[in-house]
Amino acid sequence: MLQFARFAATRAAMALITLTIVSLVVFTLMELVPGDCAERYLSYKNTQGSAITLADIDAERARLGLDRPFLTRWVSWLTGAFQGDFGSSCILRVDIAQLLGAKFWISLAICLGALTLAYAIAIPVGIISAASRNAAMNNVLRLVSYLGLAMPNFLLALMIMLVSTVYFGETLTGLFSPEYKDAPWSWAKLGDLLKHAWLPIFILGWSATAFALQTVRALMSDEIGKLYVTAAAARGIHGTRLLWRYPARHALGPIVNSLGFDLNRIFNELPIVALILTLTEAGSLLLEALARSNDQQLAGAIIFLLTASIVTLNFFTDILLAVIDPRVRKSILR
Amino acid sequence: MSLIDVRNLTLQFDTDEGRITAVDNVSFSLAPGEVMGLVGESGSGKSVTAKALMKLNARNGHYSDDSQITLHLDSGPVDVMSLKRPRDMAVIRGGAISMIFQEPMASFAPAMTVGSQMVEQLLIHSNMNKRQAKELSIEMLDRVGISDASTRFNQYAFEMSGGMRQRAMIAMALSTKPKLLIADEPTTALDVTIQAQVIDLMKDLVDEFKMGIIFITHDLGVVAQTADKVAVMYLGRMIEQGPVREVIRNPRHPYTQGLIDALPKLDDLGAPLRAIPGDIPSPLERPSGCVFHTRCSQIIGDICKTHLPAWADTGADHRTACHLCHQGASA
Repeated sequence: MLQFARFAATRAAMALITLTIVSLVVFTLMELVPGDCAERYLSYKNTQGSAITLADIDAERARLGLDRPFLTRWVSWLTGAFQGDFGSSCILRVDIAQLLGAKFWISLAICLGALTLAYAIAIPVGIISAASRNAAMNNVLRLVSYLGLAMPNFLLALMIMLVSTVYFGETLTGLFSPEYKDAPWSWAKLGDLLKHAWLPIFILGWSATAFALQTVRALMSDEIGKLYVTAAAARGIHGTRLLWRYPARHALGPIVNSLGFDLNRIFNELPIVALILTLTEAGSLLLEALARSNDQQLAGAIIFLLTASIVTLNFFTDILLAVIDPRVRKSILR
Repeated sequence: MSLIDVRNLTLQFDTDEGRITAVDNVSFSLAPGEVMGLVGESGSGKSVTAKALMKLNARNGHYSDDSQITLHLDSGPVDVMSLKRPRDMAVIRGGAISMIFQEPMASFAPAMTVGSQMVEQLLIHSNMNKRQAKELSIEMLDRVGISDASTRFNQYAFEMSGGMRQRAMIAMALSTKPKLLIADEPTTALDVTIQAQVIDLMKDLVDEFKMGIIFITHDLGVVAQTADKVAVMYLGRMIEQGPVREVIRNPRHPYTQGLIDALPKLDDLGAPLRAIPGDIPSPLERPSGCVFHTRCSQIIGDICKTHLPAWADTGADHRTACHLCHQGASA
């Protein structure tokens, strides 16, 4: 037990180191964008009609601390980031933590919801379909699965909206009902969010499920053919016990391993779905910051938060993997 | 009375390329305490035959209607072919018959301790409780020469050496006191010194437990050391069988002769090794007549290409399926 705690602590420390290195990369990328926040803000004011001099720019730089060396600025950005303070947006001149508000966490929750939905369906169905001799069932599953992979999310979202608007007279957009939109957080607001969130979760989960189903099925088919399964059958183990205790359990390792990757993929799909369902979430804010307003501070903050989420998820999957696979556990605990 | 009787065992598999015959009309029987070596090249159907005794082959396999496998247990004869559900087959799988596989590493589930797999099997095949099953498992590990058995019991296969894994596999196979042990190339993956230890161990245990053993191997040297009788298979057919000394000293089938000539001889290291020419044909292109005629150096005419040779008595309990032997008898 003590050894396990030590293993968890080592993994946590490694996650922090990873995150620090990632933050350096993110920060460097932010710096590589031509121009800095001072120039960008003042040029924005210039377009509004103010006359700007070079001295103004220097003064603004000094005010923002941009005249300090690169590493100093990175350290102060990083310490701020770990405390949830990402400074101010370059363009909008408001505190980023405030600007993002709950948006990032809502986005993350939607993605995690989609991920959970995907595996809650894919694991049992994938395992059963790999073990089954029923050709008809397998063909239906394959069809559904390919539909899920082939049909773009936005198309599915549009179709659902069309059907719900035309046949049920209900528009399924947004994450909150109008009366809750700007209301402070409360249980009622949370309930309202859940009532709306099922749709993006379903749409994102749809393709994620199709993807996960193929993965689980392939891993499981591979595992079922292995000698230890035949050997177990030769010892008289049969039925569901043979299926779940032997191949299913061993197929889970690689699945757990890929959860972090899946989360990232789902987050990348979020903006287009969000656009159609007019959700306020962080993914589209990131695209906006990167592509349109060139708001490096805001983009950096969102990327950092996303990376932190993936690193955290990977930390938990590492722990989970060690719990289910003794080979991982024993390789670290000595 | 014999322990197991196999009659006309024929097993075909449906593949995308067509139906292939893996086992063709194989018959043999084995008495309790007898060791039979099943010999042949890779692809000769020896493993498939052995697995068929437990109906352990892939889902696309079909047995012919006249295939018969009868197991004579204390409780009475069991018609293996009539067992349909996995639940019913548990009586023979791991109960009356145990199997040891070629790769000890791959035959243990990687994420389960060796002990938990042993206990699981005992709980299925006996009335023991978990504690008794654990005690017996540790005792068995100890018996096969694994030191510090109670620690090893809680270890995983990847924590053991190759020889130890195969010992553990033997301990697991014997713990349910099977009547028949099938050993599918149990020593092939081991190095020579460990191989000798494992063979000695198996011989001791056979004497002690009085069980029948089917020993599958391509190594005639191993067969000469361990078996009472030997059956040689080629392309799913049995082509020669008899007492082990008789067959090795006086092989009658050209294929058996070829297998023996292909062995290096320690007393004459200068002698060239003679390989059997050609490769085993693809199961999709099964030769007509005698299945070996495409590689046979002693072919005697069209009869080899058109007619399956019948069994000929070629000595005491020694039978050979070759036209050459019939020719000698009729001349």
